[in-house]
Amino acid sequence: MADNSTFEEGFNNTYTDYSSFNGTFNGTYSNNTNGTFTGAEEKVETIPISFYTPIVYAVILIVSLMIFSRRYKANRIRKLAEQPEIFDEHDAKELYFELQGLSTTEKIHEKVLKAALLNRGAEAIRRTLKLKELAPQIELMYKNGSVGEDYWERFQAETKFVEVEFRETIQEAENLQPGWPKLFATLCQEICFNQALSRRYQSILKRKEVCIEEWDLKINSDGTLTK
Amino acid sequence: MASTALRYNPNNKLINDDSDSLTESREISIMQINKLSTAIISESNPNFTPQLNDEHSKMIKSLFESGLAMLKQKKMPEALKNITLAVDMAQRSRAPYEAFGIQLQEIQFMLRHKIDLSLLTGRFLDALQDIEFLMNTGMAQSDVYIRKSDALLKLSQFEQAKICCERGLALHPNEVKLKALYLEINRRLADYNGDI
Amino acid sequence: MALNYDYDETNETWPFFLLTVLLMIIVPLTISQFYKIFIKKDEEEQLTKEEFKKNVLSKLNDKYTSSDIKDFRKKFDNKKQSNIFCWKNLIIIGGWILVAFLIQRISSNDAIIDSAKGIFDPYEILGVSGSASERDIKSAYRKLSVKFHPDKLPKDLSEQEKNSMEETFVQITKAYEALTDEAVRENFLKYGHPDGPQSTSHGIALPSFLIDSTSSLILVIFYISSFVLLLPYFVSKWWNKTKLYTRNNLHIKTAGSFVSRLVNYKPSQIATVDLIIEWLSHAEEFKIFYPNLTPKDFETLLQDHIHNRDSKINGKDANEMKYRIVAKCHTLLHGFLEVCCGFRNLEMAIVCMDTFKCIVQGIPLTKDSQIFQLPNVNEEILKNGSVDEIHTLGKLFTFSDNEIGKILGIKDEDRLQETLTVASNIPQIKLLKADFVVPGEEYVTPQSTPYISIKVLMRSAKQKSIPVDKFPNEMLQESDDFEDLKNPFASMEKEPLMPTSFAPRFPTNRRNTWCCLIALQKDIKILQTPYRLERLSLNNLSKNLDKRTVKELGDDFNPEDWEIGFIKLPLGQQAPAELGSIHMRVVIKSTDYFGADLDLSMAMNVREPPKIDELKDDIYNDNDSDVNDSDDDDLEDDSGSESEYTDIDTDTEAEEEEEK
Repeated sequence: MADNSTFEEGFNNTYTDYSSFNGTFNGTYSNNTNGTFTGAEEKVETIPISFYTPIVYAVILIVSLMIFSRRYKANRIRKLAEQPEIFDEHDAKELYFELQGLSTTEKIHEKVLKAALLNRGAEAIRRTLKLKELAPQIELMYKNGSVGEDYWERFQAETKFVEVEFRETIQEAENLQPGWPKLFATLCQEICFNQALSRRYQSILKRKEVCIEEWDLKINSDGTLTK
Repeated sequence: MASTALRYNPNNKLINDDSDSLTESREISIMQINKLSTAIISESNPNFTPQLNDEHSKMIKSLFESGLAMLKQKKMPEALKNITLAVDMAQRSRAPYEAFGIQLQEIQFMLRHKIDLSLLTGRFLDALQDIEFLMNTGMAQSDVYIRKSDALLKLSQFEQAKICCERGLALHPNEVKLKALYLEINRRLADYNGDI
Repeated sequence: MALNYDYDETNETWPFFLLTVLLMIIVPLTISQFYKIFIKKDEEEQLTKEEFKKNVLSKLNDKYTSSDIKDFRKKFDNKKQSNIFCWKNLIIIGGWILVAFLIQRISSNDAIIDSAKGIFDPYEILGVSGSASERDIKSAYRKLSVKFHPDKLPKDLSEQEKNSMEETFVQITKAYEALTDEAVRENFLKYGHPDGPQSTSHGIALPSFLIDSTSSLILVIFYISSFVLLLPYFVSKWWNKTKLYTRNNLHIKTAGSFVSRLVNYKPSQIATVDLIIEWLSHAEEFKIFYPNLTPKDFETLLQDHIHNRDSKINGKDANEMKYRIVAKCHTLLHGFLEVCCGFRNLEMAIVCMDTFKCIVQGIPLTKDSQIFQLPNVNEEILKNGSVDEIHTLGKLFTFSDNEIGKILGIKDEDRLQETLTVASNIPQIKLLKADFVVPGEEYVTPQSTPYISIKVLMRSAKQKSIPVDKFPNEMLQESDDFEDLKNPFASMEKEPLMPTSFAPRFPTNRRNTWCCLIALQKDIKILQTPYRLERLSLNNLSKNLDKRTVKELGDDFNPEDWEIGFIKLPLGQQAPAELGSIHMRVVIKSTDYFGADLDLSMAMNVREPPKIDELKDDIYNDNDSDVNDSDDDDLEDDSGSESEYTDIDTDTEAEEEEEK
């Protein structure tokens, strides 16, 4: 083994010069110098950027969040407005305001205005009761996913609207006849129930017609069955 | 706004709306206001209370009793007519703010007589609708179910009759008349379905 | 060596990375697509064929379906499929092209080949086979070292040649040592290189051209746009879409409008099919299909369907629109039913189910609907001709075939037979027994969890009615198998799926479902969401027990021949704590057929739980002993004082002693 020392020499030699061979030798084995070199290069480049980067980042983030929140809010308001009303009509309320409007141009009996207000109050009570009755059912449906979130929110809002509406009618009652509101509220309640009864009674005729059609009945004019 | 369509008649103090776009609910609302106006205007006390108007009570009672008198004379159609008039009168003349509890009892009491007369004179559909009115206003006595099942049976609505009878039996399990009616309904239903 | 993150300067890793990702997506996609096209289609065909063989109605349904509707079905089936076709196939084709391109790139990239070459293989360097003996290795090394030894190189070589020669020599030396020297050999085996551990680079598999200072900006923008803009956008879009539809696949606007209709519905009104159709016509789904049409148009289309009229909108043929609208009603009506149940409104739920039948059969709700759902019926003749009151299928079958022909106005013998086949295959439910059952209990006890068990006989209208008492009690007994006690509803899953319905006017093929509603008799309010019954054996319908020939059920009647249908409905609520009876009304309504319903009243009698007898005592004590076992360490002192458990405690103590 006389050659051994030369081998070792050569070996050591290549070991130290290892990096210089590396470029051609093997790509997957990394080269040390190259790495530090690029690192240094990067450092040089990043110093000016690093000063602005956080600012730019923050600006982009804040601006995009602001845009998002604004659009989201606008979207929600639009959607809420798009939601169909819980109640189809507000005739009682509208009629009262229409009458009030008329009273500015022509003379309207004060008691007619009172009647319209009582009607409005009775309707407000009916809605309060109706919403109270439906609330647990709609809440359950919302919870199990049969009703969308928008409708649920609309429904909750409506509960508040109805409260406001009734308070407004009480206020109007005070305006029409000072000291009336207490009696007004009890009257409204009686009216509400009686009107419901009356509507139910009025509907009998129509129900009969529906039954005759649905069941294909042949009825004489006096109400007896034709044989 | 539709405010232009609303008209006020200063002579009879009524409002009306004769536009084409008049909805059913608006029409009902206008009717309710007019009814209230008429009632309030005839009221002299500005602080009127939900008390029963005795005058109305008297009128309704006399009409109803004349109907009952006819019934005693076995004049069924006339009796029915008078009682129907009494019910209508109660609905028309009473002010909407007169005590609801008493108004309800009054109409229920009169309607029960009307239903019996309707059934006796073969006006089953009238009877049925009146019974449903009673049921909707919270009456659940066994005789209501008996009458409804009977009316439905007479109208050949066997399935409906069975359902009604079953419900009656569920609420009044010992009602003999309902049980008998149930057997009859089942027999008719089997025939209807060709299972006899 | 320090770890560096390098970009892929020589383009050698990122193609592999991309290739792996691509293959991960494309291979499963391709396989699934192949499966869908070739295997599943066959299976489906097989299934329909079998169904045709087994179920006469399916065949007749096919026969009576108008060519218009068949065209519609074909078009929509194809559309659905071809849609998937284009979409997925395009991705697949594009993906494979990309794969081919990448492979081509990899194979033509010298750097990759170089790096593959650069892997240290001492045998290759020395030019010997892997199984060469030490002597062969030595001689090969000698030969090569003579040739490449730096001392023996010719002097006239250029610097470069010299360097490469030297390098080769080093390699040869290393290879030799790797195979002979112990220490170096160990290095080679452990780290794959004679010099010991080599540095491994952790690179980012991005091509270098993306990292160049000019294009790095593009990359940054790409990152920002994908994480700041695109990702949130798609996530929010997906989220909004899930929020857009309710649990029952109703558009939230539709659900909202249904709820609104019910809120505004006056109790004085009578609910009718027409009313429900008017409500349906406001569905958002229709508007999405045909944005130009109004709810009024949709209502007309639905009414046209029910009254079997050709549809025209603005003078143009609108039948296809009608079919699409009608087909959508299935989802809408199921959704509406759920809303009705949410409102606890039984009356409305029942009308909803009637509307369902009307839409499925394409006929209005009249007292003769049962008859009109049959094919070939002549409306005029039926309405004017009949003397008897014939409104039901059962009544119809009290007449002879010939008479039925006359009643229905069917002259053609074959057609009459087909009509009769349909009539006799529409299932009718006969109630045998209905109970509230608490698994493992004799009767309902306070605060137990009962379910409703209904035993029915599915029968044909043609068959003689079999009185309930013909069935022995054992046949109607609740199964007390352990499995059934554990999950009473599992047995219902084993029933066969309902066959295709006879509904030739409905735009799609469908199967009947029974919707089961449970309401309190006290206030006829619905208690819970509808239960959909989709499986029930209809084998009884083909049994021959013609009511026109069998006048009396004789001794030869064998109840064992008949299948008893078990309908088990879970109850959402516990039995009350108080004793007493609760009456419920159970309504089982078919979605497809008129006259296939059941309406019954049943009482839940809540009784005092049985006095704990000997047997039960044992069970309880056993349970307690288990508890004692587990907590023995803590309870050792207590166990002595608890006289009730003495037996058990001695047992456990004995066991413990044995263990010790």
